[in-house]
Amino acid sequence: MLDDRTILDACAVDVRFPAGGSVPVEALLGALSTHGVPPRAGDPDKSRPSQAGAAGGSRPSQAGGGVLEVGDGRVREFLAAFGRRLLRPALARRHPELGSLGFFLRPSELARTVEGLGHDHIRVPRGLVFHVPPANVDTVFVYSWALSALMGNRNVVRLSPRSGPVADAIVETLHEALADADPVIAATQRVISYDRSDAVTAALSAACDLRVVWGGDRTVREIRRYALAPHARDLTFPDRSSFAVLRAAAWLCAPRAARVTVAEGFVNDTYWFDQAACSSPRTVYWVGDADDCEAARADFTDHVARVVTVRGWGVDAAMAVEKRVSTYGLAADGLAESVEFHGNALASVRLSAAAAAPRRWLGAGTFAHARLAALPELVALVERRDQTMTHFGFDRAELEELARGLAGRGVDRMVPVGSALSFHRVWDGVDLPAEFTRLVTVVK
Amino acid sequence: MSAGVFTLGGAEREAVLLPELAGLTERHRAACPPYRRILDAIGAAPPYERVCDLPWLPVRLFKTHELRSVPEERVFRVLTSSGTTGQRPSRVFLDREAAAAQTRMLAATVRVVLGERRLPMLVVDSRSVVRDPTLSARGAGVLGMMNFGRDHTFALDERGRVDAEAVKGFLARHGGERFLVFGFTYMVWLHLRGLGADLSQAVLIHSGGWKRLAEQAVDNAEFRRRLAAECGLSRVHNFYGMVEQIGTVFLEGPDGDGLYCPDFADVVIRDPETWQETPVGVPGLIEVVSTLPTSYPGHVLLTEDLGVVRGVDDGSWPGKRFEVLGRLPRAEARGCSDTFGQG
Repeated sequence: MLDDRTILDACAVDVRFPAGGSVPVEALLGALSTHGVPPRAGDPDKSRPSQAGAAGGSRPSQAGGGVLEVGDGRVREFLAAFGRRLLRPALARRHPELGSLGFFLRPSELARTVEGLGHDHIRVPRGLVFHVPPANVDTVFVYSWALSALMGNRNVVRLSPRSGPVADAIVETLHEALADADPVIAATQRVISYDRSDAVTAALSAACDLRVVWGGDRTVREIRRYALAPHARDLTFPDRSSFAVLRAAAWLCAPRAARVTVAEGFVNDTYWFDQAACSSPRTVYWVGDADDCEAARADFTDHVARVVTVRGWGVDAAMAVEKRVSTYGLAADGLAESVEFHGNALASVRLSAAAAAPRRWLGAGTFAHARLAALPELVALVERRDQTMTHFGFDRAELEELARGLAGRGVDRMVPVGSALSFHRVWDGVDLPAEFTRLVTVVK
Repeated sequence: MSAGVFTLGGAEREAVLLPELAGLTERHRAACPPYRRILDAIGAAPPYERVCDLPWLPVRLFKTHELRSVPEERVFRVLTSSGTTGQRPSRVFLDREAAAAQTRMLAATVRVVLGERRLPMLVVDSRSVVRDPTLSARGAGVLGMMNFGRDHTFALDERGRVDAEAVKGFLARHGGERFLVFGFTYMVWLHLRGLGADLSQAVLIHSGGWKRLAEQAVDNAEFRRRLAAECGLSRVHNFYGMVEQIGTVFLEGPDGDGLYCPDFADVVIRDPETWQETPVGVPGLIEVVSTLPTSYPGHVLLTEDLGVVRGVDDGSWPGKRFEVLGRLPRAEARGCSDTFGQG
């Protein structure tokens, strides 16, 4: 079969933001090099929006002309404008995850991020950052790009040519915000697409100062084949999985309204990204004695089923079959004592042992339940790939004790049920603004 | 043409199959521990009132799990299907008895349209398809069907072009008597019409799906009409079957009014939302049932094919007549990782 890719220019990329058509990768990198960005001639005042000074404190908020600095006012203004547009009701309704992104980009949040940086050293951008988001676009990569831009970096984001409507909406909104933005944004930020090309990936990898690889183990392994410059480094986001842990007695004692709220939060945590987001829980651990846990699990499942019905979450026939294959498979392997379906949208599996918790994706709306006598039992069960622990019914001291007990062997986030998908600048155990900057030691 | 294995009407078939299939369910439950664990987990237990009440397995489980109801030392043949690229193949375990039964019943099924004697056979494919050491599903299909013919002649050369000389020679030897033509539906469509040969004595048996023909807006009616008009070919039988129910083929009736179930098998069309059996005329997922899988729990399988029952006891042969409408797409999810389900 003829491979139609071989007849394309192997070194060309499609510049999607700012829309620029097909461009050789060398030209793209040339335009992004610090020397390739001409300083802005004339009206220097316009490059210093007043808003930036207010949020950035008394320090000058940006370097002159085409060079960005950490917390650059022009980037802040652009990100805030981009965020405002994401919050427009029509767009946020169509893609709720873009609404959350817009909320994250509001000026006060951006200011908090900049102000949260330590001031013992002079903080400077890393330089050119190459972002490789997952092919089936999850919006997390936009957070990582936005934080990188906020830290004053030049960025190249590789979007899959197969990316769908969410990516299109993001690119379109970026363009809208660009209209009023300082030209330095267009000069320093790029979103590109290209078909699998060794030459392009190699060129971008060799040129960047930091490479950010999302998309899981396979993508990380694949991208790591391309050499970085000796001084450059990778920031990788491998396959992760997440779980929820609830105290059975707390659930059973909670007033009905509270249980409904938790069930709603749990549904938000899981159904938004077909339960495939790395921070969406797959296993639900119940802590307590056997009777309490059984009663709590049954009541919890009823509540979740009601929320799923009310919200109108459904799965198509292909997903319904997928869930049968995965849950019957767990049963065949002896890992599932029971498999119950509440319609196609909600499948509930009772694991034969807590140690049998599957990490792999089982299909949207498939929850494996297991029982623990006490919270510290998790210490023996957690694996390196466990990322987010959503919790209900535990006090801060218990959670902190668990975190210390785990000692970094897994679990990077402990957040209440309902907050699994809330992005934070500390993600996967990594302080992203810190990663996106370098520190200059100045001693007089 | 003898009625052979196409004799049972809907109600009668239900009465014959239900106890046999329920018996197989219990037999496999006792002999295949993974199957027993599945039935326990989903709470499936007799009595079963109707065939559609029997617990089904998703056919893809034969790709992900080793499911057999005979000890390893009694396994006589392991069948594999290549499946879609990147997927593990299905593995189907046959003991001597099951292997013999599937061969016998497949023969009985095709005999209904081919007659008692082996017919001269023209294969619309290259000889290389059966020579490849890693036999493809297509190759296995050709090889299986070759049992029912003689003087096998391949209509395509090694490079996949029509071998006019071979076809001419075959027709010179056999063109005046009844002969068998076998091939995959798309290959037949691609190559048979251009032969310019008189195929009025031929019986065509074909399979392999309609996806590529549907892209050209060719459906079964158009397929039959054009073959009749251009080659004089009027005895055309499509069939539907899968390695997970080897030996069971659902064969198109002589009038092209649907696929029929042999007496030892049936189909249940299920609504993928409620999982209930759909009424006649309402599409759903195809469940295939057969009494042949005795050495592995493949007697009640939910396929990932969409189909519809067009009628019951109202066509050329008794029982349900149905149509395959296409394949369910694989489920895809959004998320952080490019690699779902990889452990």
